[in-house]
Amino acid sequence: MFELKIFMYNKKLKWKSDFEKSVIIENFLNRGWIKSQEKEDDSTDWNVYWATVWNQIINHFPNHYELTRKDCMVKNLKRFKREQDRETYEQQGWNFDFLPTTYIFPGEYSLFVEEFHRSPNQTWIVKPAARSQGQGIFLLRQIQQLKKISGTTITSNMTQLNLVSKENYVVSKYIDNPLLIGGKKFDLRMYVLVTNYKPLKVWIYNKGFGRFCNEQYTTDVAEIENMFVHLTNVAIQQYSDKYSKKHGGKYSIDALKFYVESAYGTEAFQKMIDDIHNIILTSLKSVQVVIQNDKHCFEMYGYDILLDNNLKPWLIEINASPSLTTTTPVDKNLKLNLINDIYNIVLPNDDFPDNEQKQQQINKIGGFSVLYDESLDLMNRKTQKRQSVKIWK
Amino acid sequence: MQQLDNQEILMKLKSQKQFWDIKKKIKQGFNDQQKIGVNDIQKFAQSCEIEDQLIKLISHILKKSKKRETLKEDQIEFLNTSKIKWTELLFKNLDIVHQKTKNQEEDDTNTDSKLYIYDEKNLLAFLQTFKQQQSNTLYQNVQFQSNKILNINIPLKSSQSILDKYQYLLLQEELSDEKINKIRKQIENEHLDIELEKIAQTFVPNGERCLLYLKYFEFDHQDTVLQQHFAKLQKECLNQLFYDELLEIDGHEISEDTFYFVFQEQILTCLKCFIRDRTIKENIRIQLQSGIKKEHAEFQLPITGFFPFKNISKYVAPLCYLSTKIHIIYALFKEFFCRYFCFLHSISSESNSILSLCMQIEEIVSTRSPKLFHHLKIIGCDTLKLIIHQLVYCFIGDMDPPHILTIYDQIIGHDSLEILVILCVGFLNKYKSKLLLAKNQENVQQIFSELREDRFQELVQYAYKQ
Repeated sequence: MFELKIFMYNKKLKWKSDFEKSVIIENFLNRGWIKSQEKEDDSTDWNVYWATVWNQIINHFPNHYELTRKDCMVKNLKRFKREQDRETYEQQGWNFDFLPTTYIFPGEYSLFVEEFHRSPNQTWIVKPAARSQGQGIFLLRQIQQLKKISGTTITSNMTQLNLVSKENYVVSKYIDNPLLIGGKKFDLRMYVLVTNYKPLKVWIYNKGFGRFCNEQYTTDVAEIENMFVHLTNVAIQQYSDKYSKKHGGKYSIDALKFYVESAYGTEAFQKMIDDIHNIILTSLKSVQVVIQNDKHCFEMYGYDILLDNNLKPWLIEINASPSLTTTTPVDKNLKLNLINDIYNIVLPNDDFPDNEQKQQQINKIGGFSVLYDESLDLMNRKTQKRQSVKIWK
Repeated sequence: MQQLDNQEILMKLKSQKQFWDIKKKIKQGFNDQQKIGVNDIQKFAQSCEIEDQLIKLISHILKKSKKRETLKEDQIEFLNTSKIKWTELLFKNLDIVHQKTKNQEEDDTNTDSKLYIYDEKNLLAFLQTFKQQQSNTLYQNVQFQSNKILNINIPLKSSQSILDKYQYLLLQEELSDEKINKIRKQIENEHLDIELEKIAQTFVPNGERCLLYLKYFEFDHQDTVLQQHFAKLQKECLNQLFYDELLEIDGHEISEDTFYFVFQEQILTCLKCFIRDRTIKENIRIQLQSGIKKEHAEFQLPITGFFPFKNISKYVAPLCYLSTKIHIIYALFKEFFCRYFCFLHSISSESNSILSLCMQIEEIVSTRSPKLFHHLKIIGCDTLKLIIHQLVYCFIGDMDPPHILTIYDQIIGHDSLEILVILCVGFLNKYKSKLLLAKNQENVQQIFSELREDRFQELVQYAYKQ
């Protein structure tokens, strides 16, 4: 131990800094750190680097998990809802009725148990809070099934749940009446770009896809563990015998939009689109105060939305790193253009825009259109919302 | 043809909502008047277009009362004998297909995909075998050109008249929301097919397309009847037919299509019901096979009177976008097939027949794009061989569903398949520059194997470019 302390005391860290601020340099010197002698910008001979980011951008906000971890998303949405008074959010045209009843485990286990017993015929869906691609997800009809995550038998008098893996879980009411096309369940993957949180500026992409299950949907309890019926993740469906490499179970948003409008009528279609936009805006507003805004950051989210058989959209989750794996030529084309359009927005003409330039009123670039720009005044925002449907046409 | 007397016309008028609207309007026009003469009514009717509306309504009733007979015999005799030969050929193909399916059952490794009775290439090849007929004094206006692959003297409309008919499409602009709303209201209130055709020719909003089609085919108040008919057919599907297997194989291609894979099961169900539907034989506008009964044959023609062919699934697919109810999808498919698509598989001189449409395309391309026409001939890739798939299957699989349904709108709008001629010519013109550089069939195949997006309006624009 003594030798280690001497080692640590004698270890001289090397520092590098892009600019000579005394408060930074004095700190380094006081710690006995040595300045890196390599002058080149790309030198890697340093342990600590105090960098300026004048000409650097990054595709994440520091604490995006507030939106993209399932438990944090639920927590923030609930908080945001409590904070709004009814008058404000009705005036803004928001509604919060897009998140299925959800409990976060282990903390809300007892609340869940109460609700579980109140609705004995309800199916629940259990998901690890921080995992992706359908990993660890299962449907729950009996409370004993929680043994999968607790490792111990569940008894009726238990008021708390100890989880084996120490990770949080979210347990939501399963939407058992999804909209079906051709008898199969699907969800929507939509792309949303946020270039600024304060003020909030949101772009929505006009391309996306529905991810279809390969098996006909059924609420038959015997099929409750059949993931090919219930889980739309491509990572799961690709193992189905009926999986097609040609289309990958992906049905374009354009085709879906056309189907809904043709089969259900224009009014129903417009309401569905407005409700989807509400989900996107409300979820982003809910984390606006907590996200660490930075002018060097932008983020492209993959929104997963499920439509029920009344065409009502429900928010499933938001992904900070939506898959950029391409499974078909059409998929490749979509994602190639998506990334291209993102950089046309965040680096127009390869320039690093300042805050003022970011707020300039260009409403459409490539497949992206501005969904919401908080920097506009209230009147303009209301007109923007009404026009939101035209973005999709 | 059924003739209606005045009493019957009046009875039918009274069953139309428009009749009562007109009557109400007249009554309102003469509110307080005590004495109203016939001349007064006539003047009033003329002044506010009621007379016009009444004439249209009566024409509509008279038109509907005429029951269309299925065309069995063609005016040109050799086409009748050709139809018999075609049917015989199809029976032979059926035997071969049946043998192949038996072999496949025995040997899983032999997966021959050619399990269909005929496809569009077979049909075109058959049409090409027609010899030039002796010139008939009635049809001397049709000039024989040896460089075309279809050498037949049949009455043909002038290609200029087809081009002129659809030229209005070049002037179509994007409509304002106000105009679109007006069209929506029109569709909701309109019942006369002549008015519905006018709407279909110009613009059909996506949300009202199904309603327009249902009204045009007079299905809008028939939901229960359609449902019952379909349910009855579904029950019959429990008895397996050999043709079901061919339909299942046919469905594989559509199950790989990014726009239609979601409807795979619905399409198959519709087709299985279709080949069992007895009403098709009396509703179809043209007899496709000669209907001969083969002695001692294991299989006869399906009850529809014709063999299912390769890619028949394609005709159903776009209609799946229009409704969540399968019996509606079925009814629309059946009507479209019986009125229009049947002609694409008929040996006939009718203007909508595949023969006439092919000859029109060859005529237009050879005269307006002679360089392309001759270049394709030289490299062994005739114009018709290049376009036959798009023509027979109405560009389904080549264009996105909204554009396909625009084609369907135009078919209804003009009660004709001639829009396909315009689109085929436009398709060839669009790829003209690449085709002129092609040195052989492989080059040509490569051009069309690349990812491409063909759109309705775009092909119309190209059709009129020279």
